[in-house]
Amino acid sequence: MKSAQKEKKSNPQKGKILPADEGTRKAVLDFLKKSLEKSYFDVLLIPAKTPETKSYSWILLKDESLLEQADPLPPVMTVQGGNALSSITKHGDPNLRIGALMRPCEIRAAVELFKLNQIDLDNISLISIDCPGAMPLQEYMVEPDKIADSFKTISEKWEISDTLRPVCQICHRFSLASLLPSSEPESSSDQSERVLPASDLHIGLIGTENKNIFFIPVTDKGKDILEKLGLSPEDSLQDWESKVEEMRKSKLEKKEKFNQEWQNKIEGTDKFVAAFDACINCHNCMRVCPICYCQQCYFDSQFLNLSPGDYLERAEKRGALRFPLDTILFHLGRMSHMVLSCVACGACEDACPMSIPVAQIFTLVGDQTQKDFHYVPGRNRGEPLPLQDFVEDEFGEVETPSEGAEVSTEEAEKNA
Amino acid sequence: MPKALKINKSVDEGIKELLEFLIQNEKIKGVFTLKKMNDEGAVSYSLITDLDELKEAVPLYPFMPVNAGKVLSAFSLQAATKERVAAVLRPCELRAFVELVKRVQGSLENILLISLTCGGVYTLKSLNNGNLAKQLPQYWEAVKKAEIDPDIRVTCRSCENFIPHLADMTVAAVGKKDIDNECVILLNSQKGEDFALNAPGSAITEEMETADTEKLKKLRVEQKEKLFDDFDKNGVGTKAFIKTFAACLGCHACSHACPICFCTLCDFDSKSCEYQPLSFVSELSQKGGLKVPPGNIFFHLGRMTHMAVSCISCGMCSDVCPVNIPVATVFTRVGDSLQKVLDYIPGRDVEEAVPSGTYKEEEFAEVGEQ
Repeated sequence: MKSAQKEKKSNPQKGKILPADEGTRKAVLDFLKKSLEKSYFDVLLIPAKTPETKSYSWILLKDESLLEQADPLPPVMTVQGGNALSSITKHGDPNLRIGALMRPCEIRAAVELFKLNQIDLDNISLISIDCPGAMPLQEYMVEPDKIADSFKTISEKWEISDTLRPVCQICHRFSLASLLPSSEPESSSDQSERVLPASDLHIGLIGTENKNIFFIPVTDKGKDILEKLGLSPEDSLQDWESKVEEMRKSKLEKKEKFNQEWQNKIEGTDKFVAAFDACINCHNCMRVCPICYCQQCYFDSQFLNLSPGDYLERAEKRGALRFPLDTILFHLGRMSHMVLSCVACGACEDACPMSIPVAQIFTLVGDQTQKDFHYVPGRNRGEPLPLQDFVEDEFGEVETPSEGAEVSTEEAEKNA
Repeated sequence: MPKALKINKSVDEGIKELLEFLIQNEKIKGVFTLKKMNDEGAVSYSLITDLDELKEAVPLYPFMPVNAGKVLSAFSLQAATKERVAAVLRPCELRAFVELVKRVQGSLENILLISLTCGGVYTLKSLNNGNLAKQLPQYWEAVKKAEIDPDIRVTCRSCENFIPHLADMTVAAVGKKDIDNECVILLNSQKGEDFALNAPGSAITEEMETADTEKLKKLRVEQKEKLFDDFDKNGVGTKAFIKTFAACLGCHACSHACPICFCTLCDFDSKSCEYQPLSFVSELSQKGGLKVPPGNIFFHLGRMTHMAVSCISCGMCSDVCPVNIPVATVFTRVGDSLQKVLDYIPGRDVEEAVPSGTYKEEEFAEVGEQ
């Protein structure tokens, strides 16, 4: 890993800068149009405005004319891109060369799903793009024009607005850095010698004041796309890199504050339980989550169904038993199953009918637990999932009691 | 005239007093009812067995976090309860439970059904806005006057089935001017009368259907006709249907919230409805683009054919939809139409078989003829 970073400094990354005279959206779509025209891709996967509504859907796009309705960065994230991609290859590769343009968190979700054998990436090129964030979905559906307007300003000026979704406001993974295996913290896995970046090609938007867009090839596939379209990556990316770094620092600052704030809000059983007081156990959060791929979730199954006598027994133990059952168990269970792969995309919070800050809670826990495993979900296709990987020296500090904390046998027996 | 119990307390306190009596005198082991979760208005259904916990109950709170029919089905799915319990639930929730019992998804045995003449519930979102507490006075005013609170669910505003005919006991609410001081609980069945024996309060007689309930029924039917008119103008036909569901994410929140949708693994969540690789290729060869994940319209139509016959218009589906699709309006409209054609009212009689499961030799001949 370290040698890769050194290499990066001595061979600064180059890209291709293209003018965006008619705006960055048009410039991106023109590039994609070219890729279809030159038959580099058979189809594109890109969000498009759903006709006669103001909403957006993922379209597997073959016909160029449909690009008129396409938008690489809609104001909202409706379906998580990882889920859209997964639905295509779930039962096998349709043998279509797909160019999939998605937000960084969606790319990373797709990579996690790839590790979970839910996506076949062979014929897919993943194209990531700098992301200004997204607006709260339910607010957008109520006032689409107003929210779309706010988003336009926010995305053009790269503001960290408090009208963005809360998890977007603190997202420091909005650009290419966390789609690379070298992303901090350094992986502790012995198997990470397989270095396969998440993204094939990245589109840089920040740092250009909307006058240009940057194409940054990451993998050989990415380089190939640019070459075939006659775009040689020979330009300096300094403008983009410095602005990305600036934004990243600001986001990290906000994230620090957020982590402290939320740690206080939900630490401990009482506070955690209280956060879910209004939860109706509808499981929307689970269903829209890209990482939750189980055909039938354990928490939707009959495993948790009891006989009336058992329900009454449980009710009598505490004097009252909340129905539907096992709300907290569901959240903790889901968390223990997926949080190490949580890409903090915020789809869960958008889908919650009770406005519970699910994404903020899961993002906090994801952040802490992923750090413990030196893991960043989705940065490296070759990096195994922490729970699937055996690392011989790990968490020694938890196994061995620290000095001065020795407990006598007597005390231990008392406390047992 | 039917028997009733009159308790000289507010309608909230009165029903709680009855529940306390039933638990204390071991007539029931526990009661399913709404319980406060916090001081911000969050509530949840709860099986309450302890009298202290019962103090936190809010049985008539105008909020439906989950359709109680689903709750009772989960409770009695494996077997009928051997111990008696009571359940305080709204007319539509009771009808939903009856529809589930018909489908072998629960049992009515040993459950004392307590309902109310229903003024409707607020949407789930109204809790998020923090306005629910402020709305309560407005809500109860409308109930007293037998009028429609404009802020309740769309399905509630158009509901003419707000009188629970299958309940054992019914809290009289609609049109009762004195609900701040007086709680009248109608005893609709022998079971209801038996459980009310020696209960606190005085024995009176009172009709469930009154001039006031008739008045509200007329208003609700008016609202329903307006809703249906509007839908018939704008929502009918393939194009309109697709437009209505255009923003659909395919999250299936609606089916999971629906009490009638009881399947542990819905067909539309299963592999059978997922596209094979060739389907993508073939559809793309016919059309210039394809929405993914695919199958949203198919899901809605499929779900509709499976459950619309039993749709009791509770409105949970619209409330849980993340993109504000008026699912309940569509399903209510189709359900109403379908139920009329089949001469079927879901939940009116547990012995009445679900039409889609019955064979009638002579039926719809007029459709078969050219």
